[in-house]
Amino acid sequence: MNTDTPRPSLLILDDEEMVLTSLRNLFRLQTEYEVIVHSSAREALESARTRPVDLVISDYLMPEMDGITFLGRFKEIQPQSIRVLLTGYADKENAIRAINQVGLYQYIEKPWDNAELLIVVKNGLEKRQLLRTLEEKIAELAKVNTNLKSLQTALLKAFL
Amino acid sequence: MQGDGDHRPDRRNQPVSTRGGGKEVPLPGDGSKLPGSLDEVEGLLRESRARLAQAEKMAELGNLVAGIAHEMNTPLASVSSNTDTIALVLQKLNGLIVSEFPDESSPARRRFEEALSIAAESLRTSRLACDRILRLVGALRGFARHDDLRMQKADLHAVIESTLALVAHELKGRIKVVKEYGDLPEIECYPDQLNQVFMNLLVNAAQAITGPGEIRIRTSRDRDMVRISISDSGSGIPAELVSRVFDSGFTTKKAGEGTGLGLSISNRIVQSHGGRIELDGGAGRGATFTIVLPVRTTGERKTNEH
Repeated sequence: MNTDTPRPSLLILDDEEMVLTSLRNLFRLQTEYEVIVHSSAREALESARTRPVDLVISDYLMPEMDGITFLGRFKEIQPQSIRVLLTGYADKENAIRAINQVGLYQYIEKPWDNAELLIVVKNGLEKRQLLRTLEEKIAELAKVNTNLKSLQTALLKAFL
Repeated sequence: MQGDGDHRPDRRNQPVSTRGGGKEVPLPGDGSKLPGSLDEVEGLLRESRARLAQAEKMAELGNLVAGIAHEMNTPLASVSSNTDTIALVLQKLNGLIVSEFPDESSPARRRFEEALSIAAESLRTSRLACDRILRLVGALRGFARHDDLRMQKADLHAVIESTLALVAHELKGRIKVVKEYGDLPEIECYPDQLNQVFMNLLVNAAQAITGPGEIRIRTSRDRDMVRISISDSGSGIPAELVSRVFDSGFTTKKAGEGTGLGLSISNRIVQSHGGRIELDGGAGRGATFTIVLPVRTTGERKTNEH
């Protein structure tokens, strides 16, 4: 991992503490990501307002709101984040419907496979990084374009 | 192959409609004549009601099982993930021990390695145990789900295996399952429904065997059809009963053991797939049920596919 870029960050939401522990330990062992976990959707949204993350993973079936509603609200706060849904078998159909609704990047079925989950997250973060680079390049281009325009104006002034 | 001509449900039976979801409960007996006295009619009605109640009980049980399987899924997911994570931790520890104690014969290294190998072996067992529960819960969830009404391509061997996982406890130790799987293409079907058919045939086969025995599952392709036959080493089905086993309500089991609906439902499911079930009563040497299914189903059902 490049040392001068900040560590990629994840937020994980599941109402079951045991799932949070399993996932947090997996990422601690296998990755350098910064992992924030929440068991309450409201708290997770609260945290989202002050702390940007690159990728968010949410459970589907939760008491406060379902995962799709949560990811929709999360998207309003942090539109640039990559969104992943963790679903039970029976919720798969909903997950597929949600792909367009909340711009879902991927859904992962419970029980998940550790290796598969790591790949989905890694690819999601890569996409986030590429989008960020693209944004930076576009901003640079815009800047160069403005410079060029003022140069052109200056040139025209000099000759006229 | 076939013991006797036509095994489809006996059309002579006059179905009696019940209010319970439009299921047909036929009158028992050969149906060739209407019952005589009021007492007789009442008796038949009582019997029909008892069967219906039994069918409802089974449906409730199915929902209960699906609910439990669903509840087990999340803790199971956590256990499964932890097992893999801990395996990686042990690998890391092993690397640390090797670098911290380069001397292979040092007592410290030996003690660490000994402890690690016990942990690794225990964990491997946990992984196997966990996989078995995962398969079982997966099969239960798949089995009890009836909401997915789309036809899909499925590997029949996988469908059979998931059913076997469910009946394993019923066979365990007593009945050996011999599989002779041929090359099968994926076929268009409703896998959940076929699960139910295999389940019925396997449970029947197991119940037909008293004491130790064997169930043989053979699969093969025959041009545009696939054949799955399930043979048991029981005493077979007497020739005079062969033509009646698919009749709904027909059972040789005691009340509470069978609903008399299993084979008729199985037959209906297979027919709705454009296939048929053939029965060789076996003349005292064990019965063979053969499910014949088309690889591709034609007709209106195809329009269900997305």
